[in-house]
Amino acid sequence: MKNLKKYLLSAVISAAFISCNSNDDQPVANNVTLEFNNTFKDQTIVLGDATATNATVNTSTAGQTHSFSELKYVISNIRLIKADGTEIPYNVNDLDKGATVIDQAKPTSLNYVLNNIPAGEYKQIKFGLGVKNSLNTLDQVRFPNFYAAAGANDTEMMWEWGAGYRFTKIEGFYDTDKKELSIHTGSTVEGEEGNYTQGVDAYRDITLNLPTNAIVDNKAPKIVIKADFDKLLSGKTHTITLSSGTGMDDNATPNVHTAVQMLKFADNLGGNGTNDTSGMFSVSNVQN
Amino acid sequence: MKKIFLFLILILTLSACSTNDYEPIVYENPEIAFDIPDGFPQPNSSIYTNKPTKYGVELGKLLFNDKRFSANNSVSCASCHIQSNAFADTNIQAIGIEGRIGLRNTPPIQNLAFMKFFNWDGSKLNLESQPIFPIVTHEEMDSSILEVIGKIKDDLQYKELFKKAFGDENITAERIYRSIVQYEYTLISANTKYDRVIRNKSETFTESEAKGYEIFQQKCASCHSGELFTDQSFRNIGFPINTNSNEAGRARVTGKPEDFMSFRVPSLRNVEYTAPYGSFGQFATLKEVLDYFDNGVLSADNLDPIFKENDNRIPLTEDEKEYLIAFMKTLSDNEFTGRD
Repeated sequence: MKNLKKYLLSAVISAAFISCNSNDDQPVANNVTLEFNNTFKDQTIVLGDATATNATVNTSTAGQTHSFSELKYVISNIRLIKADGTEIPYNVNDLDKGATVIDQAKPTSLNYVLNNIPAGEYKQIKFGLGVKNSLNTLDQVRFPNFYAAAGANDTEMMWEWGAGYRFTKIEGFYDTDKKELSIHTGSTVEGEEGNYTQGVDAYRDITLNLPTNAIVDNKAPKIVIKADFDKLLSGKTHTITLSSGTGMDDNATPNVHTAVQMLKFADNLGGNGTNDTSGMFSVSNVQN
Repeated sequence: MKKIFLFLILILTLSACSTNDYEPIVYENPEIAFDIPDGFPQPNSSIYTNKPTKYGVELGKLLFNDKRFSANNSVSCASCHIQSNAFADTNIQAIGIEGRIGLRNTPPIQNLAFMKFFNWDGSKLNLESQPIFPIVTHEEMDSSILEVIGKIKDDLQYKELFKKAFGDENITAERIYRSIVQYEYTLISANTKYDRVIRNKSETFTESEAKGYEIFQQKCASCHSGELFTDQSFRNIGFPINTNSNEAGRARVTGKPEDFMSFRVPSLRNVEYTAPYGSFGQFATLKEVLDYFDNGVLSADNLDPIFKENDNRIPLTEDEKEYLIAFMKTLSDNEFTGRD
């Protein structure tokens, strides 16, 4: 009888614990999906080659028509900011787990799922366009997956970016005669702090306020981010007129141009880092 | 008491045994004496963190000559960096796998230990971070470091050399880069007629060479200065422009308009063997280079002041050109280039 009581008691206690667990439907963490919508103004971009009739055509402030056949960029160093200001970094030092290549030709790449984000309300998101300097080495051994996505040599890496990865790769056409457009960005920074350094940094840190807080609980929210490539030529920092050729000011076809020209594109796409920290990016909506 | 004694002996025996068992085979891998030739500048500081060792250099040389570094196993470092050409080649622009043409002329690999900048645009500041680029570049080897490691990791000769050079058989990216660079650090050319005449005073110039040396000091040595015959600066000297839209000279790296189409002043050591000349091999012979300087170079906003102040030219008579070439040939190192 005594034994039976003991069994009963333990059964009750167990049941209590189990029910406790199942009643607790406030998870400690959930996913957050980032959806990237690549547009010209409000129109989602349709890629196409020179003869394509359905490719989205945009017109710049300077009056130049342009369309894209390829559109890729790297997102990394993602941080979510809670309503109370706490910053939740997402694998910011692991390119395999915390960075991705957005590729307009691959619909699955347009949704990037952040796993295991602590429950709570989030008011802001920060991320990098490109790869920050400390990780911007072609370290295939350390980050084989990211290397395959962003650094593999079929993208024809440039020596000068030897420092690292290509941050943005845009191929396309401009003007009515559809001249080739090929705009790539990447960093050329070399040298240790305290010693001689050289080069330009094309990495841009983006800060976006969310129009409504994203709530991570038993539901996984989605943050829809618009990347408006109209800004490429008609940006907050620079109004760019494309020209083909090999002069110092020509900027349309060279893959690298001078780094001077390249930085103008980087500023327009990712902000100049001083009075513009959003560049072409904005948050369209948050789906809780 | 006896038991304890026995026990102690047993332990001692065992421990002695075990130390003997675990004695690894330690290869002696001495550092290679690194002598700075008289008058050469101080070496790049990165050499002090990657000092050449006997087996590191041996390994590096083997890797340097291994065609498995390229995607289709057709090209090694040594395919473009040929010893008899002071580790440059004779092509206008470098040629990689499948005959792909690179942007620029292959730079000679000599006296790199003393350089502050690498590549024609100075994109690299230390040599250890360089070897990855020809490996991944589309127009060169078009491979990747994991692909290379995959190909060589079961090679017994490499396993043994990695062990001798680094203490164990692990073939890592870092060790590959470091050993190749150790080998490159040993490629020092400082045994030329010039060195024997000026520095050792054991030989004398011919009359033409002596005249050439005099003209050189007046008209060339402000840029081609010192015992490396380069001041390691970057200058736009108005050479014909490479119309490849990827080319911007050092401005590609720095983003500074004043560096547009500027290139590192080349060392003139072994210049006799490194034709053609210019960033993309614009000139087939030294005579063509001198004729170009004499006739006048292209104008540019950032043209080097030495040319700007002298009507964009270095005036030279035909005799002077002949003497200069005679002098430049005294900078040939037949031991280094294996031409003895």
